[in-house]
Amino acid sequence: MKIYKINNEKFKSIYMSYNFTIDINDTKYFSYYAVLASLMAKSSQKYATQKEIEKYLNSLYGASFDVNIEKLGDLYNLEFRIEFINKKFLPNNEELLEKILNFLEEMIYNPADWTIDNIDREKQFILERINERKDEKLKYGVQRAEELLCQGEPFGTFLYGEKEVVENIALEDIKTAYSELIKNCVTVIISGNLDEYSDIEEKIESKFASHILNDIKVQELQYNNNTGKEFKYEEVKEYQDTTQSVLSMGLRINDCNEQDFYALNLYNAILGVTPSSKLFQNVREKESLAYTVRSRYYRFKNILVIFAGINKENYEKAVAVIKEQLEDMKNGNITDVEFNSAKDSLLADLLEWNDSKVAMEKMKLSNLIAFKDENITIDMMREKIQNVTLEDVIKVANKVKLEKIFILGGEDNV
Amino acid sequence: MYKITVEHSQELDESTFSTTLSNGLKVFICKKKNFSKKIGMFGTKYGSVINDFIDITTGERTKVPDGIAHFLEHKLFEKEGANALDLFSKMGVSSNAYTSFDQTVYFFETSEKFEESIAMLVKLIKEPYFTDENVQKEQGIIGQEISMYDDNPNFMVYFNALRAMYQKNPVRIDIAGTIESISHITKEMLYTCYNTFYSPQNMFFLVVGDVDVEKTIDIIEENIKKYGNNVPNTEITTFMEEEPKEITQKEIVQKMDIYLPQLCIGYKLDLADGKNIVKNECIVSILSDMYFSKLSYFFEKEYNEGKVNDSIDMQYEGSDSFSHVIISTTAVNIDEVEKDILEYINKIKNEPIDKELFEIIKRKKIGEMILASDSLNISYRRIIDSILNDVDVYTDMEMLKSITPEDLQEFLAQLNDENQVSSKIIAK
Repeated sequence: MKIYKINNEKFKSIYMSYNFTIDINDTKYFSYYAVLASLMAKSSQKYATQKEIEKYLNSLYGASFDVNIEKLGDLYNLEFRIEFINKKFLPNNEELLEKILNFLEEMIYNPADWTIDNIDREKQFILERINERKDEKLKYGVQRAEELLCQGEPFGTFLYGEKEVVENIALEDIKTAYSELIKNCVTVIISGNLDEYSDIEEKIESKFASHILNDIKVQELQYNNNTGKEFKYEEVKEYQDTTQSVLSMGLRINDCNEQDFYALNLYNAILGVTPSSKLFQNVREKESLAYTVRSRYYRFKNILVIFAGINKENYEKAVAVIKEQLEDMKNGNITDVEFNSAKDSLLADLLEWNDSKVAMEKMKLSNLIAFKDENITIDMMREKIQNVTLEDVIKVANKVKLEKIFILGGEDNV
Repeated sequence: MYKITVEHSQELDESTFSTTLSNGLKVFICKKKNFSKKIGMFGTKYGSVINDFIDITTGERTKVPDGIAHFLEHKLFEKEGANALDLFSKMGVSSNAYTSFDQTVYFFETSEKFEESIAMLVKLIKEPYFTDENVQKEQGIIGQEISMYDDNPNFMVYFNALRAMYQKNPVRIDIAGTIESISHITKEMLYTCYNTFYSPQNMFFLVVGDVDVEKTIDIIEENIKKYGNNVPNTEITTFMEEEPKEITQKEIVQKMDIYLPQLCIGYKLDLADGKNIVKNECIVSILSDMYFSKLSYFFEKEYNEGKVNDSIDMQYEGSDSFSHVIISTTAVNIDEVEKDILEYINKIKNEPIDKELFEIIKRKKIGEMILASDSLNISYRRIIDSILNDVDVYTDMEMLKSITPEDLQEFLAQLNDENQVSSKIIAK
């Protein structure tokens, strides 16, 4: 177990994140862990129901607790997170830390005796998540581009796995999944005003150390299994009865290393993050083709996804305009203004992360996994961004290749 | 010189300073110690429900197309062909704007370019620039924005609930209007709306962050003074058809290409004044936790029976022209859940309030406000609400502490069959 503290005196509460980071090689486990996470958020030995959990949290001045699951590249992260108010702001300076740690220990290491009925209920919950995934069109479009790029890799699996797998989950599968879960690497990150909590590390250590079954550090895990996938251009169309169509494009970044991270961030910002970006300026402002148009960079997978909500008859035109922007990036047709405003906005974003406990926690974990470095600070990251040159951006631009196009929309589209 | 008023919340260890400039513009500064980010917001008490008023320049009554306040927001956030988002972005500053029923607000978020951002924001709002060409171009972009909402079931289920409740009030019309209505908007109409509703006494400037209060007020005033159009227009007259007490229709059901059906149950209520709007919001947020959250036996029952998966939320919304409660959820068997909720409401109306639970929830609500004050974005929302409701900034905290079980019971008594509507989005 590794514990990291991020202290910042401006906050009134403390956020604690207890992560199990898992190297998943059998994608069935996506579904197992989804059901397990859902069960563990709702019961333990001591708190038999959601109602009892809520009642207890309410009595701790509305401490908030949940279990979050996400993919960090090809790794799977199951996170117990809790936020509670610093004693400085409570009547009689009431100290909640001890109660919070006991509660967290109870929720993680003292699970309820699950019955078939419990399992079935949570299976139904997860099945609904799977079934409703097309209800949010833009999000679905982005996910499909990710999946097309990462077929056969854990990251290319939907977060809740597959319907058939969920349907067939048995009580034993969940019990196995639990005993697997707690064997994984644990990283605890605490973020908030820790001035009067100088011994918080020791307290966490003494509470949880005996439960830890694995001494591996999160830095030792492999987050990207894709080693030299063959280029395969694909256009995929899917019918949906909607007013607006969603266009998403999957791009792969070839031969890059983690030090390209900063140049790629800048590449992405110039291409399609800020309102000064090429996509916003050309697809939206110049051509009026879309209201939403953006690009997203995935640091763990070396891919990019561009997405836009467009009118069906503008499909060809939108693709052509987006391709032009990609070419301009490659050829270095980037103005000083585009370059500098993207850089300034990344620098400002980094500074503003300081204002969020959760953002700081996420960045810590993400840097541990990707850079395998526990000493990176916001200032260091800002300096690296500051030092990225136009040549660096052009260099990474030439590593980017459009590989998949996905279009979701009405009949006339497809 | 100006007189600065200070409001302080002991629980949040936070103060908000306010003053009125000589031209009538109200300035609010919420001081957040040690935060990097500073948010500046320039807003007007003018939103989508106002479309019939006296044109300040001609003195004549005028009607404008639906969606014009939102259209004006798009066009005002632009300078000679350049989008304001882009102008700010070139400074490394993020910015945005939004229009709701009763307000239009423009804002920036910055850590290092605070003074320049204030200058830019004031310049944008004080120097409108509309041409036939840029009005036409915007119709395409807003058209895409409207289409995006048309495909969004959360949005549709909510607006259909408003349509079912209100017969005349323009809340029944989408904030952005329709593709048809915005096609009638001209640059002249935009100037009319601008001149009438963007005068200083109808506007406010709000800053949240770790800034020097007096210096910030000076900067705002200096920038405002650069522009000529600063005469207060104290004679704003708007017209709205009288809204009957009765609902429009009992139910609206719309089919969409979705899997998970959505439900909004609405109760149309009597109008409340600013203070009572805040009170109603506090009451309903307690009711929501008490009767519909994971703390409630109702949620537990619905969950265990496999009817509801996510959550059931109850929310109050009020202004000087509307007042209602909306209960929303998603479920595969939406009709069954609707029936359960309606029966349940009738049942709890006649039950005594569980006092122990009530106290626990109040304690949690106070904790929630403290947790929320760690976010600048939540802090500004509470201040804008208090500006629009014309109440002191920390009224919600004081109000919350004063709510009694009797207040809850009195409120529940207003949720009757005759003022109840249902809106559903179901799968095709």
